[in-house]
Amino acid sequence: MNQSMFIVWRESVEALLVIGILQVWISRQTAHSRLGRFLWAGVVLGLFCSAGLAGLMLWAGEAMTGPQGEWLQAALTLLASGLMVQMVFWMHRHAATLKNTLVREADERLARQGGWGVLLLALLAVSREGSETVVFLYGAGARLQGPALSLFAIGGVLGLVLAWLTVLLLRSTRRFISWSLFFAFSEALLLLLGGALLVAAVDRISGQLLAMDMPEWVYSSFGESRWNSSALLSDSHGLGALLADFVGYRAAPSLVTVLVLLGYWLWVGNGLRRSRHTA
Amino acid sequence: MRRALLLGSLLLSGAALAAPLPTYELTLQDGHFIPPQLTVKAGERFKIVLHNLGQGPAEFESTPLRVEKVLSPGVTTFVVIHPLTPGLYPFFDEFNPQLPEGSILAQ
Repeated sequence: MNQSMFIVWRESVEALLVIGILQVWISRQTAHSRLGRFLWAGVVLGLFCSAGLAGLMLWAGEAMTGPQGEWLQAALTLLASGLMVQMVFWMHRHAATLKNTLVREADERLARQGGWGVLLLALLAVSREGSETVVFLYGAGARLQGPALSLFAIGGVLGLVLAWLTVLLLRSTRRFISWSLFFAFSEALLLLLGGALLVAAVDRISGQLLAMDMPEWVYSSFGESRWNSSALLSDSHGLGALLADFVGYRAAPSLVTVLVLLGYWLWVGNGLRRSRHTA
Repeated sequence: MRRALLLGSLLLSGAALAAPLPTYELTLQDGHFIPPQLTVKAGERFKIVLHNLGQGPAEFESTPLRVEKVLSPGVTTFVVIHPLTPGLYPFFDEFNPQLPEGSILAQ
């Protein structure tokens, strides 16, 4: 029971966090009912996609664990990372237009431009981790019987409840801080997650390139570790593992990982500075 | 430019392995690893062939090895790991986190 609870919690907390942030932000907009529909449509579609991806993993296991599956997952992860950033910039831009134009006009444009982004982000957030959760639940569910299965199911539900409570707890910090600070934190969280997803995608792509027949410089730049800080902070346990999941920390990164993460933050920082100028 | 083209065409054609890599076998069985520790040579790329002989799915995962792979029951697949500096690299089955980790010893 503990096991299913913990796994469901860990797999769902990221998606719930993203949905929670979007939902709070949308509820503050005047076009909220329209945007809200995009968000919940994304969540529902995400659940369907989870089931679909999980079905692929279970019944086309050989293909999904092979290169095709890896490239597919890398592409989905990259897309999710890009959408996180796009969403943050979109929130910023919208804050700027609200000050300058009529609210109604801005809101209509907002719903048009941002709705699909909201939908896609929610869909990806749910389906990426959701599919793994479904595989895990299905596999264990098919193996267990009787009371063990009930305990397992209860654990799964408790995990989801716990993840929900975690997000509520984070959201309740809103009571002690201002909206602008709350959104600054939310945006920082989304951008950090975006970076972590980017690093995860680079890991996946690197793994594929290493398996191919490539010139030596590809192996060295995508494969070889440039330093090793695992003595200071290991990325396999505790804080380091948490930072790996949510920030993209790697104790022994490749050159490409370092350059990509560096480029990401330079680009994001530059974009944020610019949007502040236009605000 | 030529390199980019080469890279692109290799990606598109899904290039196959040419030079044989040092290969190690690892069996996953409902959270247990057989053998629990693999000893590999440091400083060279290598391949691990993974067999999931368990009844349930497994998720072979390790941040330091840069691998995260879901294996449904009965699946055999492989991962290629970057050259490691000498040391101990833990891995685990994310679907059975309560069981002891496995590890790779690079020397």
